[in-house]
Amino acid sequence: MSGIRLAALGVVLVVASGLSYGQNGALTPFDKLPDWTGTWTMIGDTVFDAGTRVGKGNAWTPGVREHPPYNDVYEKKYEEHLALRDVYKFPDTNNFCGIPVNYPRMLNLPDAYEFVVRPDEFYIIAENGENAMRVYTDGRPMPKKEDMWGTYTGVSVGHWEGDTLVFETAGLKGDRDNDAILDRTGAVLSDAAHTTTRVRKINDNTMQFVVTIEDPKALTKPWVVTKQFRKQKPGLFLYDYGCAENNRNPVDKATGEVLTLGSDGKPIQ
Amino acid sequence: MKSLRVVLLVMLAAAPVLAHHGGAEYDAKTIELSGTVKEFQFTNPHSWIQVDVKDQSGKVVEWSLEWGSPNTLTRQGVHPSAFPVGAKATFKVHPVKTGIPVGAFVAAKFEDGTTVGKWDSPGGSE
Repeated sequence: MSGIRLAALGVVLVVASGLSYGQNGALTPFDKLPDWTGTWTMIGDTVFDAGTRVGKGNAWTPGVREHPPYNDVYEKKYEEHLALRDVYKFPDTNNFCGIPVNYPRMLNLPDAYEFVVRPDEFYIIAENGENAMRVYTDGRPMPKKEDMWGTYTGVSVGHWEGDTLVFETAGLKGDRDNDAILDRTGAVLSDAAHTTTRVRKINDNTMQFVVTIEDPKALTKPWVVTKQFRKQKPGLFLYDYGCAENNRNPVDKATGEVLTLGSDGKPIQ
Repeated sequence: MKSLRVVLLVMLAAAPVLAHHGGAEYDAKTIELSGTVKEFQFTNPHSWIQVDVKDQSGKVVEWSLEWGSPNTLTRQGVHPSAFPVGAKATFKVHPVKTGIPVGAFVAAKFEDGTTVGKWDSPGGSE
């Protein structure tokens, strides 16, 4: 091999070694992937961004709100949702039973989670809903913008940086159809939202997702939210979650109120 | 009947359990109800305990007590046998603010003293 060829090979190797798994098309070997097995539950309640919350209580408690860096249009929209929430007329889209949750609300659910790692894909499986999300880590590029139409969880592609999974999510429907919220305070994103998520296990019992949300229609700057999950004891079973099985809290579409049905299926008066 | 009853002392917070559907209209105060279990609906998205309670006039009123998803409850040691039909118990609940016979379940104590839920925790009966 000539000196020139050796030099060229060296350049290729240097460049290749600088790429993370998943970026150059090479699958991360299974034995190089982190162990994220087990059952996990979200730490804290279902206020999406606890770091900016104002008021004590939960997402449905009057006075509780967050402070996403909304522009004026979306701040006004959020305040309208909060006002409805305060009088219990802002229904949780989960009550519709039959539509999936959106991303990143996927990370803001009660009940249990599984985080499934394999060389070509990563799965978030949320028992609540039930909901699932796929992140492709096989090196494929994100689809062209014009080929995406906006779905609840969009499209995600990612790569590994050591023990950290980094993935981009686009093609989100946002608040286009008024059926995708981040939590019951009524925080929403637009259909222009794009997220970058970094996932890693910060210790044996804690998984951390740091989500950087960019949304040129709704936000004035990136909004960074951290969600953590605690590992549960081993051997637990997860189950299906038929939301419509016995939904005694349907939404009255005329008023937006959440009804409570009695055991006879009729609203309790 | 007693053999079916599982002695449970689980640490469950009412608010997170009800994070999926209800909860918005529940009062923070806790009241006690004495009644007879009519049905335990161990179903998604939430479980419901139906309890016949005599009001002050002696009329039987059916209360609906909302609890967590069976998925989460069973992992915390609560099973469908927790509330046998016909069992008599005292229930701690957060009632809805509108006054209808609906509440968020907190805990129950059966006649033999066994308990389900967070009977002795702070925030119990006022």
